[in-house]
Amino acid sequence: MPESSHPPETPPPDPVEGGEAPTGIGVDEWVARSGESDQGYRGLTAPARRAFDHLAPGWRLAIAALAAATVPYLVKPGGVRIAIGILILAMLALGLNVVVGWAGLLDLGFVAFFGFGAYFYAIVASEQLPAHWPTWIALPIIVFFSGALGVLVSLATRRLVGDYLAILTLFFSLIFVEIVRNFQRLPFVSEDLNLTGGPNGIPGVDPWDFFGFTINTFNRHYYVLLALIVLLIIALHNLSSSRTGRAWRAIRDDVLAAEHMTMPVNNLMLLAFAAGAAIAGFTGTIFAAVTVGVFPTSFTLVFLITIYSAVILGGSGSIPGVLLGALVIGYLPELLRSPRLAGGLFYFGLLVALVLLIKPRQRLVAVLGGVVVFGYAVRLVAAAIWPDAITGTAAEGFISRLLDGWVLILGENVRIITNVAFIAAIAGALAVTVVKGWWQVAVLIPTIYLGILVWENRLVFQPSLTRQLLFGALLVIMMAVRPQGLLGKKRVEIT
Amino acid sequence: MTPVLEIRELNKAFGGLQVIQDLDLAVSSEEIVSIIGPNGAGKTTLFNMITGVYVPDSGDIIMEGDSIVGLAPHKIADRGIARTFQTLRVFLNMTVKENVMTAEYGATKARAWQSALRTPKARREERDIAQLAEEKLAFFGDRLMGYRWDQPAYSLSYANRRRLEIARATATNPTLLLLDEPAAGMNPAETQEMTQLIGRLRVEAGYSILVIEHDMHVVEGISDRVIALDHGLKIAEGTFDDVATAPQVIEAYLGYGAAKK
Amino acid sequence: MEFFLQQTLNGLTLGSVYALLAIGYSMVYGILKLLNFAHGEVYMFGAFAGYGVLTLLGGPASPVVPVWLLLILMFAGSMVVSSGIGVAMERFAYRPLRNSSRIAPLISAIGVSFFLQASALFLFSAGFRTYETPKLIDISTGVTVGPIHVWLVRVLVIVGTAVVMVALTLWVNRSRTGKAVRAVSFDREAAEMMGVDVNHVIVVTFLIGSALAGISGVMTALVFGRIFHFMGFIAGLKAFTAAVVGGIGSIPGAMLGGLLIGMAEAYTTGYISSTFQNLIVFGLLILVLLIKPTGLLGKAQLVKV
Repeated sequence: MPESSHPPETPPPDPVEGGEAPTGIGVDEWVARSGESDQGYRGLTAPARRAFDHLAPGWRLAIAALAAATVPYLVKPGGVRIAIGILILAMLALGLNVVVGWAGLLDLGFVAFFGFGAYFYAIVASEQLPAHWPTWIALPIIVFFSGALGVLVSLATRRLVGDYLAILTLFFSLIFVEIVRNFQRLPFVSEDLNLTGGPNGIPGVDPWDFFGFTINTFNRHYYVLLALIVLLIIALHNLSSSRTGRAWRAIRDDVLAAEHMTMPVNNLMLLAFAAGAAIAGFTGTIFAAVTVGVFPTSFTLVFLITIYSAVILGGSGSIPGVLLGALVIGYLPELLRSPRLAGGLFYFGLLVALVLLIKPRQRLVAVLGGVVVFGYAVRLVAAAIWPDAITGTAAEGFISRLLDGWVLILGENVRIITNVAFIAAIAGALAVTVVKGWWQVAVLIPTIYLGILVWENRLVFQPSLTRQLLFGALLVIMMAVRPQGLLGKKRVEIT
Repeated sequence: MTPVLEIRELNKAFGGLQVIQDLDLAVSSEEIVSIIGPNGAGKTTLFNMITGVYVPDSGDIIMEGDSIVGLAPHKIADRGIARTFQTLRVFLNMTVKENVMTAEYGATKARAWQSALRTPKARREERDIAQLAEEKLAFFGDRLMGYRWDQPAYSLSYANRRRLEIARATATNPTLLLLDEPAAGMNPAETQEMTQLIGRLRVEAGYSILVIEHDMHVVEGISDRVIALDHGLKIAEGTFDDVATAPQVIEAYLGYGAAKK
Repeated sequence: MEFFLQQTLNGLTLGSVYALLAIGYSMVYGILKLLNFAHGEVYMFGAFAGYGVLTLLGGPASPVVPVWLLLILMFAGSMVVSSGIGVAMERFAYRPLRNSSRIAPLISAIGVSFFLQASALFLFSAGFRTYETPKLIDISTGVTVGPIHVWLVRVLVIVGTAVVMVALTLWVNRSRTGKAVRAVSFDREAAEMMGVDVNHVIVVTFLIGSALAGISGVMTALVFGRIFHFMGFIAGLKAFTAAVVGGIGSIPGAMLGGLLIGMAEAYTTGYISSTFQNLIVFGLLILVLLIKPTGLLGKAQLVKV
């Protein structure tokens, strides 16, 4: 029954809804009001945010683009490289958003189109063949063929719906990597022809070059990418409120109804697939030029998941959403690379989560105070009976030194104990979601302590592991708390 | 005068079950024809065949002189047949106005790249689409007007979703409207209003209408002609009074159950 | 001929392991329509749990209990750990998303997979470990069939898998809970209305699927030796392929698919080159899906208009 899919805030049908309600103001009105109240920001930044919301989309884009344009002046050269990475991710997220966010097609082959564009460019613009096509010729050809490949994959999968589409395209991604990794040369062609470079990839890819203007510095890459993204955003924004964009969203909501409402759904799906593939392929050429080479490891499932995370985290279907998602997903790993920043982020995140989640204030105070007392108590006991437990050296950084006198810093020989603490901390964190009331406090205190213990003893020294751990946890928590993403709209679906 | 829709000797079976059997049916211009019959009589299957969801096993469906058998649903919609769904299939996550605007896809031409570049032609077309959608929504009085345009469809009440579905169907610019239980789930006042509305659709907008309906008050109020189906067979056809009093129709609705008890 | 038999045997061993793992994918998909990408990680933890038991009981060189008991304890330990992880995963990552859109649990599954892999890296560090099975069971023990000799461990894997499959089939078809599992995978809402405790059924499904993954993990480690934190990804992918080839949602399909994929891999490695192993397997999948979109033994879902 459709009614069962009503969101909880939908009121029961108003009895006067019928002939007797001449004003026409019926049950839906308060929905409008509750919609407005969603926009009611609170806090210090509220006026600025409200003002930003009232701006026309064009102005908002202009402000955001200007802010982004100042980045190279504010950060170190290494920072520009990170920013380029974020822009590339943003561009891919915009492309994926067309396929997944609008048309609702679970395209897990997306990363292969990105790889296809990158390899195509690398092959025609390096010593590999050797060929050095002019950029202005290579780009349109690559975009065309990426789109065409998208159409092909989409044609092959057009009989498949839902998960099967996802599965088949997933294997398309896998096969792509297998091919570039193993088919150095084409069958039946000269032995000397090494097309993909196999596991070693293709080094020495030409930079973009438009009639002598070579894009070969970080700053140039950055500004070119920024300009391209602004253009892409404008085009996609226009498209989203056009007949095509509406038709995509209609298909996502209900394929059958869309088809009855004059929309050729197969062609539209094909178009969405091709558009996504073309954007991905185009981004691939930039990627190959920026990294001056292509390697099979850049196009694995891990990167596919990264793009998906950006789209989902930011809010699938929303252009500002996926841009924000790309920013967070692209920047977070860089932040976690430095132990000091990662530590700051960890404690800040922990504090914010506690403040947001523990409701009565006295309970929050109890938890925070409890953790402090618990820590000192553990330390006192440990110092008395188990000297190994405090002989370790704390990590670098202000916070770690501050905590040195409080949390146990285990000696090398007993550091393996952190494994137990790790498992206990996870179990505690899971238990917190189940228990209620003051029990929650009782579980939280040791859990937080163990978390800090694990962090200070181990995680702070293993940034890549920490990144993966937090990334995984983030995805799970995000899906449970806000599946529509940061800026996405809540969706209602009939199953 | 040729009928708008003509169905000749239509047959459809699922597995061994004959759902539609040798059905003949015609709808003339600006005529309202109701189809009644107990559950499982094949009414919705008939709609699904007319709109191209299922392909009939044999027989022909002719829309304004041309056979539409085998065409894809969107092509059939382009030919001027629009429908609503028994189970309500509005695009829940789109706004009310967008819901109606989507249905004008087939009547508009802007290519994706033209829309992306917002060429003058695309802009003009977009304005027309919006205007037409507003007109279609205005047909329902205040019900779907004003602030409701920008509400997501999921926030609408049940009755308003039914109205929105009809508005969306009319936006495809049809000749023939297929309404699948338009009054299902409505209270008496809303049913009354729906009856008048269907009448107005014919008089003011000039649609030919084929309706599936269980509510006999609605059927009585709107129909020029009534067709009764049972197990895929046409068991009666004529005015409401003729069909409603025909013994085989009464038996189809009450007979077997009453007889067995 | 001898070479062919040898490869067939390899394929059978590999296929058994994949089949056990694939059943978990298929069962969960059947019930929840969820592609549980974290299933491979459960398998990896199973292999490590087996290793843990082995080490605790004195290691392969000098076990403190008889070998048969050691093996039983290893399997038991891995099943406990795996099913614990599986059930916890369902309870905390998937249950809150039971009624949300289709994509949310998928992303959550990927998150769980990342998290578990990183956890394994944290707990066991990045190096390879090995069961050193030949120290436990002499490589020369086993059965000799014609020209080839079959190591006891391989016999154990193949026969063990067959026994598990028969038991599972009987359980699904005969037992009360097994029937409930089938009912829920056929139509969850209807089953719920008929009084089936859906939550219970889902937990049992995860429990069994994960326990099988644990068994599969220990078997892999016994035959092929190495275990490492990334092993779940690769094996999970293969088993997932197997589940899809067989028809995802179908338990016999998962068994068939597992054996097929195992065989395909073994023959490719034996007759062509191990380089093309993945390519052939993935190509096989795409071929099967293009010809029969629901997999070999999968049933098409009816869509009501």
